[in-house]
Amino acid sequence: MLTSLEQSAFSTWLLSSNSIWAYPTVLTLHTFGMMVLVGAALMIDLRLLGFGRGIPLQSMDRLFRVMWVAFALNAVTGTMLFVADASKRGPSLIFWTKLAFVALGLVMAVLIRRRNFEGSAETVVISGAAKRLAIVSLLAWSAAITAGRLLAYVA
Amino acid sequence: MPELANQADLAHLHLLLNHFPTIGTILGLGLLLLAFVRKNDHLKKVSLEVMFLIALATLPVYVSGQAAAEALKGQAGVSADAIALHNDAALGSFIMMEITGFFAWLTLWRIRRVGRPTTGLTYTVLVLSVLTAAAVARAANMGGDIRHPEIEGGQYAGLFGSSGSASGLISAAGIKDYVLQHPWVWPTCETLHFIGMSLMFGVLMIVNLRLLGFLRGMSFASVHRLLPFGLIGFGINFITGMFFFVAASEQYTQNVAFHYKVVLLMLAGVNYLVLTVYDEAWALPASADAPLSGKLLGGSALVLAVGVMYFGRMLPFIGNAF
Repeated sequence: MLTSLEQSAFSTWLLSSNSIWAYPTVLTLHTFGMMVLVGAALMIDLRLLGFGRGIPLQSMDRLFRVMWVAFALNAVTGTMLFVADASKRGPSLIFWTKLAFVALGLVMAVLIRRRNFEGSAETVVISGAAKRLAIVSLLAWSAAITAGRLLAYVA
Repeated sequence: MPELANQADLAHLHLLLNHFPTIGTILGLGLLLLAFVRKNDHLKKVSLEVMFLIALATLPVYVSGQAAAEALKGQAGVSADAIALHNDAALGSFIMMEITGFFAWLTLWRIRRVGRPTTGLTYTVLVLSVLTAAAVARAANMGGDIRHPEIEGGQYAGLFGSSGSASGLISAAGIKDYVLQHPWVWPTCETLHFIGMSLMFGVLMIVNLRLLGFLRGMSFASVHRLLPFGLIGFGINFITGMFFFVAASEQYTQNVAFHYKVVLLMLAGVNYLVLTVYDEAWALPASADAPLSGKLLGGSALVLAVGVMYFGRMLPFIGNAF
């Protein structure tokens, strides 16, 4: 199945077209989505860890929406990149490690939002548990980026 | 993508720009000393801004120098040793210049909180700029030795002693060999480069969206506190980016995407400086709206940041790298 995906007309176009709108643009959009998603997550994590304390937590709530839009972009572009290279990515341990860390990062975002952003009152004292979630989030995104970059060199 | 400059243009550009760091540092240092003598905080601020801008302008000087070296390679009457010595001295002084620029920025950023340039930081910049001026002058002198036979040979031993001996502190060839011989270095730097980019963009996103009128629940003063994280992200990317450039400069010097990236990076740097000292917005009350100039500043910062990322990612596709 992976091979047939890879041999589809779409994959052939994406990989072998010389057009700047094929592989280079999809890859750049994927990088853009990563920068927005991880950038927003890092800002929320740093705030929970005590940096930029003057910023009300509630005012950062909109960043979660930014994260989900960026994630949607990367789910689409990521699927396109996977399909084009399916037989190589499919069995790659690094690839599935990357997806696991992305999933962990997203779960952390959901948990962080549930704990600190739902409810009308501003969270003033950030609990130890919230800080631990922020640290796991920081590590998860860093690991996801590391695995993603390694794909270009190892797999 | 229209070409900005060919190799000869870049070699020419290097000859045009290469006096800026020396003269600029001395000018910034002179202004800072004058500000101390006159006890004038406003003048101190101006001299710090000059230092930051000179640190920024040194990037194209260094980068075009590599192109000039490649253009000169193998030409009669040009000593490869003289070029290598100049290159090492230039790299060392470039790094010092960026450290000075970073502290100049930090001092400027602190002014918003403290109300004046703080003594410790200002003296740090003073000491660093004296050292940088000396390092840059030494590098410039060694550069002059490459193609000015009228001042060479005979009894002349060079202003800073015999230019036949390198300082040995920083060796561009050594860095290049290390990166190319250790396969883990490049992917590690790439990973850090992406993390640094995300950190930088996270800060730029919040600060500039606030200026544009989104995220109004955040006060300007609290957002201003995030700016150093943006510069930390830039620092990570400057260091890792220099590893790429020093290890494989020929992939970049003639890469049109890299030329665009450097130009946009310069503009983004100027934008960040203006943003840092943009009191029209930072002094506004919590829920206020920034003036039109602030919105233009915020909008252009985001466009420039995405542009820098775009041309970085496109290095292998638009250009000829890798």
